[in-house]
Amino acid sequence: MKSKKPVKQKEIYSSDEQNIILDSIADGVFTVDREWRITSFNRAAEEITGVSRSEAVGQFCKDVLKADICERNCCLRSTMKTGKQIVNKNVYIIDAEGRRIPISISTAILRDKKGKLLGAVETFRDISVEEDLRKAIQEKYSFVDIISKNHKIMQLFDILPDIASSGSTVLVEGESGTGKELFARAIHNLSPRKKQPFVAVNCSALPDTLLESELFGYKAGAFTDAKKDKPGRFRLAENGTLFLDEIGEIAPAMQVKLLRVLQEKTYEPLGATQSLEHNVRIITATNKDLEQLVREGRFRKDLYYRINVFKISLPPLRERMEDIPLLVNHFVGRFNVLQNKNIQGINEETMSVLMSYSYPGNIRELANIIERAFILCKTGLIEKKHLPESLFMNAADYSAGEASSLRDVEASYLLSVLKQNNWDRLKTARQLGMHKSTLYRKVKSLGISLPL
Amino acid sequence: MKVALSVFKDSISTVFDVAQQILLLEIDGANRPKRTALKIEATDPAQRAAQLSEEGIEILICGAISRPLQEAIMARGITVYPFVRGKTEDVIAAYQSGRLGNASYALPGCRGRGQGRVRSRNRGMHCRWR
Repeated sequence: MKSKKPVKQKEIYSSDEQNIILDSIADGVFTVDREWRITSFNRAAEEITGVSRSEAVGQFCKDVLKADICERNCCLRSTMKTGKQIVNKNVYIIDAEGRRIPISISTAILRDKKGKLLGAVETFRDISVEEDLRKAIQEKYSFVDIISKNHKIMQLFDILPDIASSGSTVLVEGESGTGKELFARAIHNLSPRKKQPFVAVNCSALPDTLLESELFGYKAGAFTDAKKDKPGRFRLAENGTLFLDEIGEIAPAMQVKLLRVLQEKTYEPLGATQSLEHNVRIITATNKDLEQLVREGRFRKDLYYRINVFKISLPPLRERMEDIPLLVNHFVGRFNVLQNKNIQGINEETMSVLMSYSYPGNIRELANIIERAFILCKTGLIEKKHLPESLFMNAADYSAGEASSLRDVEASYLLSVLKQNNWDRLKTARQLGMHKSTLYRKVKSLGISLPL
Repeated sequence: MKVALSVFKDSISTVFDVAQQILLLEIDGANRPKRTALKIEATDPAQRAAQLSEEGIEILICGAISRPLQEAIMARGITVYPFVRGKTEDVIAAYQSGRLGNASYALPGCRGRGQGRVRSRNRGMHCRWR
């Protein structure tokens, strides 16, 4: 009886089979030859980069990937040169829509059976989710995280690096939800103190007695339950930045203590017999008109001048309506990542409603509106029916009808800005960053009638 | 008119956000353009945009660019030709002869989206297709 012949093991996969295997991998994978031209490009790589396989194959990998490291610190080049793998290096790429996508890349060398160098392989995965969560947890926000094309914010961008490096006390004024803490963190992260702590305290959240021990700390035995020393926020922020939010809410007695701390750069923990020196940069914020509070005698004039070395006034969202599409896109992207959804965006009709609303709660309110829409909208585009009813009650007259075209959105927006500026054409043109003659032309072409 | 090209060695730099060199062309129509090399060191969008503006640049031709940076540059009235690739001399010639919209100068994946689309604040919020 003949013995059964062993089945010959298939030695190599066909090109199609290799593609099927590569396409089944969730990570992006591409290979390059020795000239840095892409030889294979899997489905996940297409999805992450937004470049199709047919467009990618044969191109230089740097042109396809568009990563920050491509020209000066190319990982593939390093692997080809040293033969060493690179594992999980965090970089970012820019897709065709201008989005910065954080990715983690790994590289390895490719050789044939005889050990001859064929090229290299790079695998990468989108780590937007991890990055977004990391930023939210660590609150490492920078100017890149402030989304705006409003001219007032742009003017702030111009001067903020100088303010950040100066070390001076800064007062940030703005309505609730305008991003005061985000700006404070951005100033800190741009300053020479960026590696030191940023400590935020909401002054209105604590009664005066607690605020004092919270800010300055206490010594053991200072009061009945003070069993051991507790460092205050000033101590925790040493060499860094202390952010005092809602500064307008603190009581007169506390204002005096704070003034002394700022003037003399020393403070005394409760129950201490000696003053401690501090090296803390102070950034304060308020949603009140501090000047008005000073006039009314509710805020000390000397403290006001002490904290108001440099004042930043953040415009409310209703005065930077041109930012709404950018912010909406940002929040849609963010909630897609956080909630693992694939909402495409927002339709024009819905955008027109959002552009006509006055946002008393500012950006925080807009974020909540989008988050709410995410609960109701399962897929596709966010529609009017996904918005809260309160928005329609306040919608501008112009969009009361069915604003369904881009022209309607533009007209509605222009009208709302004109109203905000009390029909002042010059002010409106300046806010929109256009020449007044362009504004007149637009008003005429959109058929908007202006009051005499 | 001052036209800036973001360059790396003899080509357009792939990512403008991290590019460090600018080739500045001063075009007056009659003479051969005057060329100057500039270095950009700022990393945050506002400072990069400010530097371009301070140099009096009116047009920027660059590779991939992130949206916040592009918005910051456009807010200063600078027209941006984004997602361009190619040898610097070829790109200059293409710009001067109005051929920059050709697909061969577009980064892969950006045809009809980035390159060929001029973005300028002065021309409104929307894209103008060439």
